[in-house]
Amino acid sequence: MTNDRKFLRLRVIAPVLLILFATFLLPGASLYYSYSGGKSCTKCHEIWQPYRDWHDSAHRNIACSECHGDVLTLDAGFHLKNIRQLAAHLRGKIPEQVRLKTDDVLQIEKRCAKCHREEYASWSAGPHSASYAKIFLSKDHNTQTLLMDDCLRCHSMHFQGSIRDLVTPLNKEGPWRLTDSRLADQPAIPCLTCHQMHRHGDPLARPPATKPDDAGPHEELARPSLALFDRREQDYVSLDRLPLPQMHEGTRLVKISPDRRQALCYQCHAPEATAQVGSGDDRTPIGVHEGLSCFACHEKHGQTTRASCTTCHPQLSNCGINVETMDTTFKSLKSSHNVHTVKCINCHTKGVPEKKGKNHEGQEVSRRNPA
Amino acid sequence: MSLKHVNAVIVGSGAGGGVVAKELAEAGLSVVLLERGKWFTPFDERKDDLRNQRTCVLGNAFGPDERNPRVYVDASGHERIVPPTYGAYSNNAACVGGGTLSYGAMAWRFMEKDFRLRSTYGTVEGSTLDDWPITYEDLEPYYEKAEWEIGVSGDDSNNIFRAPRKRPLPMPPLPPTREHQILKPAAQRLGLHPFDIPMLRNSIPYNGRGACMRCRWCVGFACEVDAKCGTHNTVIPTAIKTGNCDLRCECIVREILTSDRGRATGVAYYDSDGRLQEQSADLVVVSCAAIESARLLLNSKSRLFPNGLGNRYDWVGRNLQGHAYTGAIGLFDRETYDDLGPGASIAVCDFNHGNSGFVSGGLLANEFIRLPYQFASRTTAGIPRWGAAHKNFVRRYYRSSISVMGPMQEMPIFDSRVQVDPKVKDHWGIPVARLSGHRHQNDLLGTNFMSAKAEAWLKEAGAATVIRSGPISLDGPSGGQHQAGTCRMGSDPKTSVVDKFCRVHDVDNLYVVDGSVHPNNGGFNPVLTIMAIAYYASANLVKTRKGMGAT
Amino acid sequence: MQPSLRLNRRAFLQAALTAAAAAGAGVACSRNGSPWRFFTLDEARALAGMVDQIIPPDQDAGAVWAGVVNYIDRQLCGPYQTLQETYRYGLEAVDQTSQSTYGKVFADLESHQQIELLHRLEDGKAPGAAWKQVSSAEFFRYVVDHTMQGFYGDPRHGGNREGVSWKMLNLPYPPIRGRVRSDLPKPRSG
Repeated sequence: MTNDRKFLRLRVIAPVLLILFATFLLPGASLYYSYSGGKSCTKCHEIWQPYRDWHDSAHRNIACSECHGDVLTLDAGFHLKNIRQLAAHLRGKIPEQVRLKTDDVLQIEKRCAKCHREEYASWSAGPHSASYAKIFLSKDHNTQTLLMDDCLRCHSMHFQGSIRDLVTPLNKEGPWRLTDSRLADQPAIPCLTCHQMHRHGDPLARPPATKPDDAGPHEELARPSLALFDRREQDYVSLDRLPLPQMHEGTRLVKISPDRRQALCYQCHAPEATAQVGSGDDRTPIGVHEGLSCFACHEKHGQTTRASCTTCHPQLSNCGINVETMDTTFKSLKSSHNVHTVKCINCHTKGVPEKKGKNHEGQEVSRRNPA
Repeated sequence: MSLKHVNAVIVGSGAGGGVVAKELAEAGLSVVLLERGKWFTPFDERKDDLRNQRTCVLGNAFGPDERNPRVYVDASGHERIVPPTYGAYSNNAACVGGGTLSYGAMAWRFMEKDFRLRSTYGTVEGSTLDDWPITYEDLEPYYEKAEWEIGVSGDDSNNIFRAPRKRPLPMPPLPPTREHQILKPAAQRLGLHPFDIPMLRNSIPYNGRGACMRCRWCVGFACEVDAKCGTHNTVIPTAIKTGNCDLRCECIVREILTSDRGRATGVAYYDSDGRLQEQSADLVVVSCAAIESARLLLNSKSRLFPNGLGNRYDWVGRNLQGHAYTGAIGLFDRETYDDLGPGASIAVCDFNHGNSGFVSGGLLANEFIRLPYQFASRTTAGIPRWGAAHKNFVRRYYRSSISVMGPMQEMPIFDSRVQVDPKVKDHWGIPVARLSGHRHQNDLLGTNFMSAKAEAWLKEAGAATVIRSGPISLDGPSGGQHQAGTCRMGSDPKTSVVDKFCRVHDVDNLYVVDGSVHPNNGGFNPVLTIMAIAYYASANLVKTRKGMGAT
Repeated sequence: MQPSLRLNRRAFLQAALTAAAAAGAGVACSRNGSPWRFFTLDEARALAGMVDQIIPPDQDAGAVWAGVVNYIDRQLCGPYQTLQETYRYGLEAVDQTSQSTYGKVFADLESHQQIELLHRLEDGKAPGAAWKQVSSAEFFRYVVDHTMQGFYGDPRHGGNREGVSWKMLNLPYPPIRGRVRSDLPKPRSG
């Protein structure tokens, strides 16, 4: 009898509490968070450091909730996670460093797109927006190379776990599947691979309506957000700390562009340990293009190279052939002359003629074309 | 509660147990492979230079954890409880693959004389030195099998001292590092015979896995490109693939169960939820490494075996050995560091035998890459310890120094031993290992000699200054990751624990297959020998099982 | 980072300490009104003085800038929990020894006095009474070793800020390492 009454009371009280909670507490909390610009959250909170960093960052004018959600976010999983974190916090289990989990990164991805539309569209159209499925379930790759933890250095680096936790089975026979099928369409190289949101910087002024044509070292260099997400540290390594390699072609030292941004490219499009041009996944240009920055030809978000020749070349080359129709991989991927390595001698097999011409300042010069 | 009966239960999935599991499972036997640790991945330690198996100041990345203490008794008889991160603990990784997940992976064959030390050098006072009941020739085919199945790169053809091999190594060595190029001509000028160290590491794609990418975090760490070959990525997956091998992780074996007739009937273990389980089996294989294997035998007491299994004559746990490491560091005027891992690549075996004034010796090789903390925390006399002088030293020499080191073959000592502690128990209530003893004077003579040789090599290589390792301390027992000797292999049951097929003398279905069975431990890293013995013992096991018409 | 090195030693020390302490705020394992997890403000000052003599700033950053105090503070609430008392007694004894010898706490001593005193600790020749609970030589050994860890070890543990010691050693991080692709046909083009 008493038990029944207790039960009844619970049935009445619980919904009432819930309604009260929804009407007052949630908006109240929301107001509390937004009013203080996030500062109130950091009072007794392990997010102090990220908060401080954000406060000095280029994104300081964007409220926490814009990217991280708030009490009004319509996502049960999001709230459950927060409640779990709160419980851990109250039990004194305070993490040293707050880290983004796999899901968080993918959520934030969409929010980047809200403002950085052009960049997002360009990235989406390019190879770096490849999905988990495309990267990890590729039959061509997986039948030849066993998937390994090192894959996650450059792909899905935010994934919290080993390759074993991501793909199954780990063999060359397949068929392979992602342990968490929801990841299939998610990008494996998201914005947060090369951009650190909370990094020190000034809010970006409106970009000029037209971008300068002379991309390369003279262009506006590193944005302060440029940093590599290092999976080992689970933290960013800022661009100024990333190494640029000293590349070699045999024993010859290869000249590379001083463009620091390439340090990001080199982390994944990396030569083998011996730093030989063309080894591993290296794409360092030699031959006629030696010394050019990756960004001289590749658009930074889309990596597209189309129409890039004319940004530097007069349309007609020294030989009077249109540079874009020369026999290189720019014209056709089937060409044996990779734009990264092509040399005059590849076509002028009997020797490269000396050529007089004008340099970009209009002075007469006579030069031996690079072999 | 008892589980489905199987043909074999193997305790420990390291170098020995992993190989046996594969051999038995492939022969059609049903196998349960029990491992006290987890199946770790490189994500678990992520190249943490303060928390790995080599440098464990903030913990062992791959176990064991603090639930597994030991008791250490020093030379003055003072005893203390030591956690796994202390040197005195003699830690070996507790995980699938055991030490082979994170080792440096040198793959040495012992030399012929290493199996015949007593015949070669005579009796040594204060040591139980003896010949092995098997010879190098007996093991040769199994060394080869280990090299080809698990995968070894290197080139020992210039090693004129090596024991004869029928087949070359399956993979070439990695291209030489700068250190290698400096040390090689120097060794040749001294009349030594330098060569490329055999390593259980893919230098080219092999066995379906890729090649080493030469990072600087090798020994102590798990390999992200899976180029380091351990049992965890070779034989154990093969065993599981047969469908005959059930790998169970986080299982702590309490004791080996025996019948009234004195045969092993299985093991009792605590599973990952802490529940006590009994796994019955036709045969039991103990492969927990020298300290834990001895502990398990000693903890398996019954009416018939009041002092533990195999311990009728009090030999279990005796002769605990490891390696006394010694050498020198050379400081150069030019840069020697090229950031090409794993670092160790060149060795000489000129000093393993035939030295005068002491028994045996050991190899000398350049060291693995020393990460900054390892370099900076070196406390050899002659190197500043702190202050501006220390900082200058580290800055000046980190990239301009070469370290040459080697393991001295230790003399087995009856009183250097593993016992079970009468009072201290682990998290599961099982009595812990108690380590006590000392080292032999010969170890000191040998290491002094080897450091002098390392010094001479570095001087010849152009080092401006050479600082030798200090003399080793003879206090306390040896052990460490190269632990061996505690269940000696021999023909006489009164002076050994297992027979030449690794079978415990008085329990005919109980085997010990790991470094415990080595009567002496060579002047070499012992892992390839452990693997070879595991192949050899398994071959015999499979043969006798067939004879018995089992399954 | 470099400009701050030009500050005078003491001002710099204070600034770096404050910054490091701020980073630890809110994650204290003790609630002692200090921004540190374990240390009191005085303890942190004494320790900062010690570690910056063990690895002094010069053309490259020193231990304090690299966050060594933060590293030790953090480990004392983690793997080094068993050493809490050693540090508590040890740092108190350092200041006591300093007071009785020079009439000032350790952090306020001149650099050469600090060095002198540390040598005495190292040799176990520090005045007796203060060092009853822990031996000065043993405590100093711990501090030296932990300083090396915090300065030369992985930044993920709270020291070696921005990988400063690795940069000092010209050790690129992360190293550039491509995989050996001999098992795959070369991609036709980039």
